[in-house]
Amino acid sequence: MRFSLFFILIMPTLTLAEGNSHSKHSDHSAHHGHEGHVAMDYVDGTATELDVERFGKFVADQAGNQIAVVSVTGMVCDFCARGIEKTFQKDEGFKKIDVDLETGKVLIAFAESAKLVNQDIEQKILANGQTVTGIQILQAQ
Amino acid sequence: MIFSDDMMDSAYYHYSPSYKYSLGIELVDEKKQTEDHVYFRHTYLLDRKNTQHSQRNLYFQSGLSTGGNDEYFYGLLGDWETRRYFIGFGAQEFKSNARNYSKQFIQIGFAPYLGAYGDLHSWLMVKSKRTDLTDEWNTYPVVKFFKGDYLLEFGVDENDKLDLHFMIRI
Repeated sequence: MRFSLFFILIMPTLTLAEGNSHSKHSDHSAHHGHEGHVAMDYVDGTATELDVERFGKFVADQAGNQIAVVSVTGMVCDFCARGIEKTFQKDEGFKKIDVDLETGKVLIAFAESAKLVNQDIEQKILANGQTVTGIQILQAQ
Repeated sequence: MIFSDDMMDSAYYHYSPSYKYSLGIELVDEKKQTEDHVYFRHTYLLDRKNTQHSQRNLYFQSGLSTGGNDEYFYGLLGDWETRRYFIGFGAQEFKSNARNYSKQFIQIGFAPYLGAYGDLHSWLMVKSKRTDLTDEWNTYPVVKFFKGDYLLEFGVDENDKLDLHFMIRI
């Protein structure tokens, strides 16, 4: 059921950016997660979770823009995570950000023309005190 | 950051060139001394462990005073926290021509509810502190609130002295 939900809610609005090698994980499959979330296992055995409804709301007005889905560890405090938002707000092409403390996910929307580099995103989050465990760059449609 | 307890009032501004360390300047009004002074402070991250649901930190902290008594301090600060629980401790040694003393504290707390990003977050805590000037542990409740770029933590110790900690993230 949630597998279907994933494709209904997410796949029509997002595609992996073609020729973009930002993702640490080249392939994934979705399976049942807990309430309101979709869990995805990647080929290297790691897993991530997305809050489907939250994700859908975030990308709803971002057609054409790039969405960085960043998995972060150590993001246990709102006040501490606030620095992530402040850092990315300074980036050229930044549109908006969403921080999910529960799942450890940071969603960052950038303009289609923005040049995104995985290492740059990792370093900015590391500089704020958290650790990046995975990044996917998607394109909202 | 503004800090106040039974020992001092202080205002502290710091900048972190890297996540490993920060440099700061602290204006200190010592309540047991007549002279105000300025500390140049350095904090270095000795260890950090991030997991999906927790973060653990250990810092080395030091400061050098501009006052006339060649005062300086050094110490360790540590914490472990999840979204629900917090444990922190600190131990500092203060040295000067006028006097030497040490301070220690331990603080534990829990969040009665888990707010989302941007919500008002609240913590209920217990803090216990000691200086070897009195050689007594002083234990009292502390509440902490933060929302957005503002953090306020306060309690009233056993001697009815305010323990206040206010931070703004710029």
